[in-house]
Amino acid sequence: MKTADALPTRTLAQRLQEAEATIAALLSGQIDAVVDAASKTPILLSKAQDALRRERDRAQRYLDTAEVILLAVDLAGRITLINRKGCDVLGWTADELFGRNWFETCLPAAIRQSVEQTFDKVLGGDVSVIENYVLTRSGQERLIEWRNTVVRDDLGQIVGTFSSGADITDRRALEEQFRQAQKMEAIGRLAGGVAHDFNNLLTVILGYSELVLADLPLDDSHKADIGEIQKAGTRAAGLTRQLLAFSRKQIIEPTLLDLNVVVADMRAMLGRLIGEDVTVAVKLASAPVPVKADRGQIEQIVLNLAVNARDAMPKGGTLTIEAANIDIDQHNAKTHVSVEPGSYVVLSVTDTGTGMTPQVQARLFEPFFTTKERGKGTGLGLATVQGIVTRSGGSVGVYSEVGKGTSLKVYFPRADAEEMPVAAPPQVRAASGVQTVLVVEDERGLRALAKRLLEREGYTVLAAANAEEAVQLFDANASIDLVLTDVIMPGASGPELTRRLLEQRAALKVIYMSGYTDDAIVQHGILKPGIAFLNKPFTSETLGRKIREVLDR
Amino acid sequence: VATLRRHDEALRLRLYIAGNAPNSLRAIANVKAICGKYFASRNELEIVDVLDQPRRALADGVIVTPTLLKLSPPPVQRVVGDLSDTNQVLLTLASR
Repeated sequence: MKTADALPTRTLAQRLQEAEATIAALLSGQIDAVVDAASKTPILLSKAQDALRRERDRAQRYLDTAEVILLAVDLAGRITLINRKGCDVLGWTADELFGRNWFETCLPAAIRQSVEQTFDKVLGGDVSVIENYVLTRSGQERLIEWRNTVVRDDLGQIVGTFSSGADITDRRALEEQFRQAQKMEAIGRLAGGVAHDFNNLLTVILGYSELVLADLPLDDSHKADIGEIQKAGTRAAGLTRQLLAFSRKQIIEPTLLDLNVVVADMRAMLGRLIGEDVTVAVKLASAPVPVKADRGQIEQIVLNLAVNARDAMPKGGTLTIEAANIDIDQHNAKTHVSVEPGSYVVLSVTDTGTGMTPQVQARLFEPFFTTKERGKGTGLGLATVQGIVTRSGGSVGVYSEVGKGTSLKVYFPRADAEEMPVAAPPQVRAASGVQTVLVVEDERGLRALAKRLLEREGYTVLAAANAEEAVQLFDANASIDLVLTDVIMPGASGPELTRRLLEQRAALKVIYMSGYTDDAIVQHGILKPGIAFLNKPFTSETLGRKIREVLDR
Repeated sequence: VATLRRHDEALRLRLYIAGNAPNSLRAIANVKAICGKYFASRNELEIVDVLDQPRRALADGVIVTPTLLKLSPPPVQRVVGDLSDTNQVLLTLASR
């Protein structure tokens, strides 16, 4: 080994110069190997570089596999790293983004400044989680939730930020929908709960008003006053019905109806309701307009739409109510909002009023949204209409122009006209009876009222406050022909009670009464077949008629 | 006279390389080309492979390859890299 010619010692300046040259050569890739002084072995850089490259590729693969955006930005806001997900969301390639200013390239101009301020706070360690919109290459805005960390170099100096971002645009939209649904659900529960008690009270108020009215001499001075109590009670009952329809807890009895007949029957009432300034025009179809629906609900829809139309015409105008058959094919399905091709009946309510802006139209069916003065509208009218129509498999279309007027079209699937009864079903007369009725109702006032109303009709009435009492009375009285029971009671429910009674006597007649009920006697709000049901609040007439109808079956 | 004599001194070079790594092969080719063109007939080039003789590199204060040492005429000078910059190499070799 030739070690004899030891080289002269170099000066510090020379060593520094050499070190600089070595670094320059290293950086330009001109170095193959480094001789490690400690182990006295050469390390081939190509192998080290390969390993490094593999390591880097592997790291990149991990970054690219991540289902979140990974982004590093230096102090000047330049992008120093971005993964595949980030590129996917933003619509740029990584090469296009490297070195570009994050804030200028990927943020909507309107929020750029505020996000830059937030970036400064992130660098200061004050903020770690932020949400902001990013601007994609195609001009779309996506909402991103970022988790940020500060990046430091070996000396502990802050050199930038590293952030992971989740695209929460869709999630946020879903959450919003969910919140809305929850709100509706809560309102529904509230409405249902309130309506149950409220209907009991209204039945008592209306029932006793009726009894007093019937007993007062014709010329009694209190007759008009009691009449007012009755009117107020009836209006309150309408309001409860509205709430229940809106919360979809109303019990409906769909029957085959001719929309022509329903609208025609309402004409006189509408005339009184609408007022003198507005002309009411009713256009009926020449052929029957068959629809399977609950008559009360159809009437409610017409009323709600007519009242809205009237309120849109404070200076008068024309209100047109139209019933028609319509066939929607592929072609014109496009022009009818959310209507599938098929055969429909359509109820249109058109006014020549103020019309609506697109902003108002967009919120039209939102519960509690109203353009009416405080105290004039509940904001439930159209939400109710929407609820009823959707439940019946129909849809609602809105056409409005500011200053010209509004037309609301309610589409229902057309029923088979063949099944339509030629004449209205014969009304069962509320004839008096001699049979024995067992009334089961936990609400004392209501129980007493039902007893009194039925006794007036000539029935023998036994009354029980709960299922246990009812069973005892039933066992002691073999003569009971019919049980009129509440559905929801403390202890055993109405359906549970009747199951027990029917086991003993299968021929027993049963009527449930409720203002709102659980799934025991209804499915999706529709009565199970063969179940007799009396809606609360009831009057002596509806009660008497229902009892007669069931006893005569 | 001294200057002249040094001029006439043969150019003694030692090139540290690492096997047949690409920069090393390039450095060999480059230094041979430069010597052939500018110092023909009066140069002595020793090629040392650090894979075989790492201790010699350390003894000469060489820690990376390729490194070219000009041993004489003095002063001892070094060029690091693949020696593709002919001007820089010539400047170093001609220094005295």
